[in-house]
Amino acid sequence: MAILAVAVASYIPYSLRSPQGPRGGSVPGLIYGSVGFSFMLFAGLLGFRKKFPIWRIGRAQTWMRGHLWLGFLAFPLILLHGGFHFGGLLTRVLMWLFILVFTSGLLGAALQHFMPRLHTAQLPMETIYEQIDRVRGQLVEEAQQIVEECCAALEGDVSSATERQRAAAASAGASWDVTVASGMQVDEQASTELRGVLSTEIRPYLEKTGGHGVRIKDAPVAAALFRQLRVLLPSTLHSNIDDLENICEEKRQLDKQSRLHKILHGWLLVHVPVSYALLLLGAWHAVVALRF
Amino acid sequence: MSSKPSAEIQLTIDGTNISVPAGTTIFDAARLNGIAIPTLCHQQNENPVGVCRVCVVDVGQRVYAASCIRQAEPGMNVKTCSEPVQAARHTLIELLMSDHPSPCARQQHSGDCELERLAAAAGVREARFPKRSTRRGKDDSSAVIAVDHESCILCDRCIRGCDDIRHNWVLARRGKGYQAGIAFDTNLPMAESSCVSCGECMVSCPTGALTNKRVVGTELGQGDVLDPTELLHLPIFQNVSGTFLELNQKAVVKRHYRAGEIICREGEFGSTAFYILEGKAEVFLASPMAHVETAGTSQGFFRKLKSMLSPREQHRRSEESDRPFIPIDASVDLPYDRPIAELNPGDLFGEMTCMSYYPRSATVRAKTDCVMLEMLRNVLDILQRNKTFRAQLERNYRARALDSHLRGVPIFSSLTKDFIDHLRDRVELVRFSPGQVICRQGDVADSFYLVRIGFVKVSEERPGGELILAYLARGGYFGEIALLSGSPRTATCTALDHVEVVRIARTDFELMLERFPDVRGKLESIAHERVAENRRRTTQLQTLPVDQFLANGLMEAQSLLVLDLERCTRCDQCVHACADAHDGVSRLVREGLRFDKYLVATSCRQCRDPLCMVGCPVGSIRRRNSLEVIIEDWCIGCGLCANNCPYGNINLHPFPVELDDPAHPGRKIASTRVKATSCDLCHDHAEPSCVYACPHDAAHRVNPPEFFAGLLKQSSVAKG
Repeated sequence: MAILAVAVASYIPYSLRSPQGPRGGSVPGLIYGSVGFSFMLFAGLLGFRKKFPIWRIGRAQTWMRGHLWLGFLAFPLILLHGGFHFGGLLTRVLMWLFILVFTSGLLGAALQHFMPRLHTAQLPMETIYEQIDRVRGQLVEEAQQIVEECCAALEGDVSSATERQRAAAASAGASWDVTVASGMQVDEQASTELRGVLSTEIRPYLEKTGGHGVRIKDAPVAAALFRQLRVLLPSTLHSNIDDLENICEEKRQLDKQSRLHKILHGWLLVHVPVSYALLLLGAWHAVVALRF
Repeated sequence: MSSKPSAEIQLTIDGTNISVPAGTTIFDAARLNGIAIPTLCHQQNENPVGVCRVCVVDVGQRVYAASCIRQAEPGMNVKTCSEPVQAARHTLIELLMSDHPSPCARQQHSGDCELERLAAAAGVREARFPKRSTRRGKDDSSAVIAVDHESCILCDRCIRGCDDIRHNWVLARRGKGYQAGIAFDTNLPMAESSCVSCGECMVSCPTGALTNKRVVGTELGQGDVLDPTELLHLPIFQNVSGTFLELNQKAVVKRHYRAGEIICREGEFGSTAFYILEGKAEVFLASPMAHVETAGTSQGFFRKLKSMLSPREQHRRSEESDRPFIPIDASVDLPYDRPIAELNPGDLFGEMTCMSYYPRSATVRAKTDCVMLEMLRNVLDILQRNKTFRAQLERNYRARALDSHLRGVPIFSSLTKDFIDHLRDRVELVRFSPGQVICRQGDVADSFYLVRIGFVKVSEERPGGELILAYLARGGYFGEIALLSGSPRTATCTALDHVEVVRIARTDFELMLERFPDVRGKLESIAHERVAENRRRTTQLQTLPVDQFLANGLMEAQSLLVLDLERCTRCDQCVHACADAHDGVSRLVREGLRFDKYLVATSCRQCRDPLCMVGCPVGSIRRRNSLEVIIEDWCIGCGLCANNCPYGNINLHPFPVELDDPAHPGRKIASTRVKATSCDLCHDHAEPSCVYACPHDAAHRVNPPEFFAGLLKQSSVAKG
């Protein structure tokens, strides 16, 4: 802030004393421009610093602070450099790029300040973003397995009993097929219903990102569906229905996480390429202006 | 568990003078001396009840005694096959046969109904007595077990199997007189009872009262399937039920291996054990004997870290283990400096893998052409209960492994050969089932224990529940604190899985301390450390009464990597930094449990309940006294610890190695081997890379009680 204050303080007499108004090619203008551009360069080096996280060249947090503050200061300095004029075509483009970088940066800083709180509060089952597709695949498999397990019990089919049922039998010290068989209550109608729900509702919802067009995307609809399933199935299978409902809830959270993550990091898609373009064009502008 | 050696007594059985420990039954005394007494209700693995009376013997008193329950007495003169005894036995068999539907279902299926076999041997053909007029009926409700109450001779073997062996407590007696029989729960049909159909009753039944319906069997693929008759001819299967072998025909197969052929590889998950019938095998570790060391390759700003394998001679860590032997899942231990040993006919290996589904602890290769029996858990379980087989295993252990096992424990390294020879015949090998208590807090201390197989949980009973103090693997020992101090047991030790311990009686333990003062010194110092550590935990428990904090196991951690989730932008710079610092293998996963607004990320937390240590097939993961986890050089990279750690704090790091080329002896091939690693805090740097690389000041390495002090205080106040 002191730098900004000094810059503004020195700008006022400079602008008043310049007969043609402040210009980028004047000595003060060049100083503003050089300092502003060096700040921009430093801010741009953060990306390079992140490529080598274990180099002991200052803590990443210090670099980030530098990026934010110096990047922020660069904008007024460049405005002072140009005397609040956008100039010719190249400088006009540069200024608009800078405005874009500056505003996207401010937006990013604000998002990165507030969004993590939202993330934390709304996503208790958060996972690693890159793993979301994989987790979704696992949820599909789990749901399939739970339904198969229920259907095996409902159809009295010992041979299709799952590892989970075998494990339960084995832990009881039993031949697994027997324990599974003893727990069965045959109801093939309910089994057909359950398979239907899996193929028409649960699976499409779990497989699609977002689940557009699937009814159980809405939590109240899903709750009603699972309530209905509990009525249809014997109470011994209610814990399996609870598991299915939890799976759908987890998918709902994954979708939400996906959305929030895109908001949290989406601004970088504008900020980073435009920043590189700004630095390149800025360097070009400096060379052209100084040489010609 | 008495520790005093039993006094020997002298008696005569069928004219032979014999000597047995006091308390031995006549039946066992005769069996130990090669005299067979017929019986129906008695099984080696069950407590005798003496209900069938077929084992009656003449002890020179007014009435004949049931030898299975009558204890031998000094000077007793026992006649097991005199004419009057045989006549009495004949009458008993006739009476039993009069109520038995001959041939019963078992006799029809496998021809091994024990009653009918006895009757045939005794020449009982036509029963002199009338058959029972009341019918007891059949129960066909179970999917796999057929119950024919008509064939039941009320020997109670099934009841003892269900209650005493399996602890299922489903079977009991019902009715009186001719209506007496066995009942499931409150005399429910078997399928409606709480029976878990473990099959123990079926295997225990001597007749066709409980038989298999053959729904589905457990099978081992390929190999020579042996029929029950062939198996019964093998000495190790003597006294095993023919019905059991028939039911489990494909659960044991004979396999032939050529010299040089690999039988099993370290790290592989399996479910079978091997018993060597012929030939020799060598057991070894193919993994490099080294631990993972991460060090800087240069100095200055651009310093890089590199992970490498270093044996303990090259790079000694603090509190480095000096164990000279590596425990494996076989009857032998492997020397650290040359991890290879030989297995001979009669040796069993893969016991832990088979019983508890742990990964194979070593690679086994046929040294000569070999013939082996490969068996599944149900067969091994039955063999383990067979006294003949157990005796053979114990003989092998005492002769070959006790020495290295004792010396494998650093504090016993100074024991002399003559003292180990003294112990050889005096130690007792005791088996425990999962969940069984080995010694209980408050009990009088009578023994010292050394873990041979499996994992033991050491815990203290506190008013609020159980406080786990440690897990002990093979080579671990317990029981010394109470023996040294003369106080009652200070903790309860429970078998976590199938455990076998070497029990050294108090007298021998005291003799050892007397003869080897240095062993006493080391034991006392370890006992002090353990007591101090237990006290530290208890104190922490009392001073940090915050439920969630405790429930999350954070109380135990000395250093945690926490991410402030309200600052963390999920950019993963911490993970990238960790991967960069460790040759591309991140030891950090940005996932874990949450405590308040913090995510407790990976890196070893030194849990109160260190599950990572349970199951390591070679016992290569342990705690330092500082509670940090240390992974020994003989880690075989099976990954079980990584799977077991609920927080994902253990990773597998691949390293390039050169291995023997099986196709071209003498040549090497390039391969990779993995070693387990956990967070090393980037020792070579002042600050862990993950913290250093976080641009948002979200990652912190903290001491939990200090870092969370404010939260804990708030929580305590709120509770108060």
